[in-house]
Amino acid sequence: MDESKKKELLLKLENSKKNYKNQLPNKILKIEQTWDLLINDPWDQDRFITFHRMVHTIAGSSGTFGLPAVGDVARQLEIIVKGQLELEEEPSVHIREKIHDELLNLSSITNKSIQTDTPPITVTNELEQQQLHHVNKDENNLIYFVEEDEELSLELATQISHYGYRVQTFNTLKQFFKAMKKDEPAIILMDVILSDGDGCEAVNEIQKDRATSIPTIFISEKSELTTRLNAAKAGGEEFFTKPLNVTDLVDKLDKFVQADDNEPFRILIVDDSVSMAQHFSLILQQTGMETAVVTDPLTVMEPLDNFRPDLILMDIYMPGCSGLELAKVIRQQEAFVSVPIVYLSGETDLKKQLAAMSLGGDDFLTKPIQPEHLVLSVTSRVKRSRILRNFMIRDGLTGLYNHTQTKEFLDMEIARAKRDNTQLAFAMVDMDKFKLVNDTYGHPTGDRVIKSLARLLKQRLRKSDIVGRYGGEEFAVILPNTNATTAEKILNEIRIAFGKISHKYKDILFNKTFSCGVAVYPGFADGTELNNAADNALYEAKEGGRNRVVFATETST
Amino acid sequence: MNRPLDRILYAEDEPDIQEVAVLALETVGEFNLKLCNTGKEAVAAAPEYKPDLLLFDVMMPEMDGPTAFQEIRTLPGMESIPVIFMTAKVQPEEIAKYKELGALDVIPKPFDPMNLAQAVRDCWNKQ
Repeated sequence: MDESKKKELLLKLENSKKNYKNQLPNKILKIEQTWDLLINDPWDQDRFITFHRMVHTIAGSSGTFGLPAVGDVARQLEIIVKGQLELEEEPSVHIREKIHDELLNLSSITNKSIQTDTPPITVTNELEQQQLHHVNKDENNLIYFVEEDEELSLELATQISHYGYRVQTFNTLKQFFKAMKKDEPAIILMDVILSDGDGCEAVNEIQKDRATSIPTIFISEKSELTTRLNAAKAGGEEFFTKPLNVTDLVDKLDKFVQADDNEPFRILIVDDSVSMAQHFSLILQQTGMETAVVTDPLTVMEPLDNFRPDLILMDIYMPGCSGLELAKVIRQQEAFVSVPIVYLSGETDLKKQLAAMSLGGDDFLTKPIQPEHLVLSVTSRVKRSRILRNFMIRDGLTGLYNHTQTKEFLDMEIARAKRDNTQLAFAMVDMDKFKLVNDTYGHPTGDRVIKSLARLLKQRLRKSDIVGRYGGEEFAVILPNTNATTAEKILNEIRIAFGKISHKYKDILFNKTFSCGVAVYPGFADGTELNNAADNALYEAKEGGRNRVVFATETST
Repeated sequence: MNRPLDRILYAEDEPDIQEVAVLALETVGEFNLKLCNTGKEAVAAAPEYKPDLLLFDVMMPEMDGPTAFQEIRTLPGMESIPVIFMTAKVQPEEIAKYKELGALDVIPKPFDPMNLAQAVRDCWNKQ
């Protein structure tokens, strides 16, 4: 599908989704009204058939419109209704109650699903507001910070907000409770002692009626055991003593917010039956995975290259070539040696299963397979293989991609830009006078500064952007689908934000800056050219006085 | 290889689903599409529209998908017209049942709009 069409369709789909969501409460209401009529009037089988159809429609449609949870509940209800329908008699009190309960369930899940989609209204700091176009809006990055000391709270809030968080500060518990009623933060930062009460008790109060607690970090003047115990009892995940180390604090914040920040799992499904393939695909998609489907096994090579699956789910018996042969061919290519292959088949003969594995498969799932079982098997395997892969492709200190992998991504992204006829910006970022940090404050402090820039780059860029550590204090950034104007805006924003971050060594606070050289495809035609051009531009930025972003011009090479 | 798929007679009673499916099939798949709201409408429209393929929802008021399909197959010139059913029921025995009726395949609901056209095309190519 070509890119513009895809965009057009996605746009229209978003609209249909919105319309569907708007109309859904009304539809649910009509279903409820129909049920009310059914149980209040003399029993009417035709009306019951209508009722069934209404529920069936919700079950079959809400998943398509991005509300799978509603679809699931509707399906539960439909199963009960259908069972009753086939009996062709008035339902018993017991069945009526069951239907009634499921209806309540349906209405509550509908409200919930629709609400989670409305954007929260929050106060953001000024810098953040300019940034929002480039910050992932789906992610809740709101922090409530309750601290009596106004100066400290403001200072810390500013520091934290440089990392892409939105921080709201409160100087009293009263203000905090009021805000909690309106909007919920992703994380609470709470001083243990406040003028109008005890921080631990306040958090206890908030958490006690909640199904899942909001991660809370306590802050205290003192590190006494009783205070720590109270904080732990209130469900405090972390405990910090003043003066606070911002880098460590942000490290913890990142952990809470980014727990699910991983890229979605990509699963390639190879099955000659369209309906089975679609069925598996939907089950996996509903848990947030991305899927690609191949129903003609001979066309498997292209999605392997473009989709880069984390795992391949493969039917064994297919026309043209068997899953076993296909696995062998896939395994012959170095790039796919480590991708797990899981066979799906009706085969229950252990000997045949083992033979299949010896040819390069990793596991066997026997059809028919329970959806939960499928999801669990796939999840555990992808997790493990990603951990192994991470060791191979990521930098140990920062968690960013290493040099080799970044270059590989650059080539892939250039190929994609070529295909889609889009622009791509490649930036090299190098910390200014970094050696000084290591020499003056020691390597542990230097490492923390490196990590803080790595984190800032990741926080401030889109998920589709690629950040790598090129070596030492040098980073590389790939911005797909980005022209020079946008790249300049983004990189300068990051440069300014980084300059404002205070780093800490004992009681000394200091700031660092970076220089940046950028080259844009198609001005430079391949990875090597982009790399060289960006490197030259970086050199120019350093020569020109550092702390700046310089673009390579096409004539300069 | 079959001749390329072009004209699809599509029957679905639910307006929301119609909208998304029509988008998916016309915009992405670039098929010619005739949309019907019921199985009855589809039976009435078939002789004039002369579709390559029927794409029918199973459960519709007045006349369901399988019944409409069987009626269309009795019409002159339509004795072997292929059909794909769409349904929220994807139990293997249901799929087997529809395939026995002569369906190329069954596309389960809810479907993924981005993949629908490809799924239809895959079914067609497998004949």
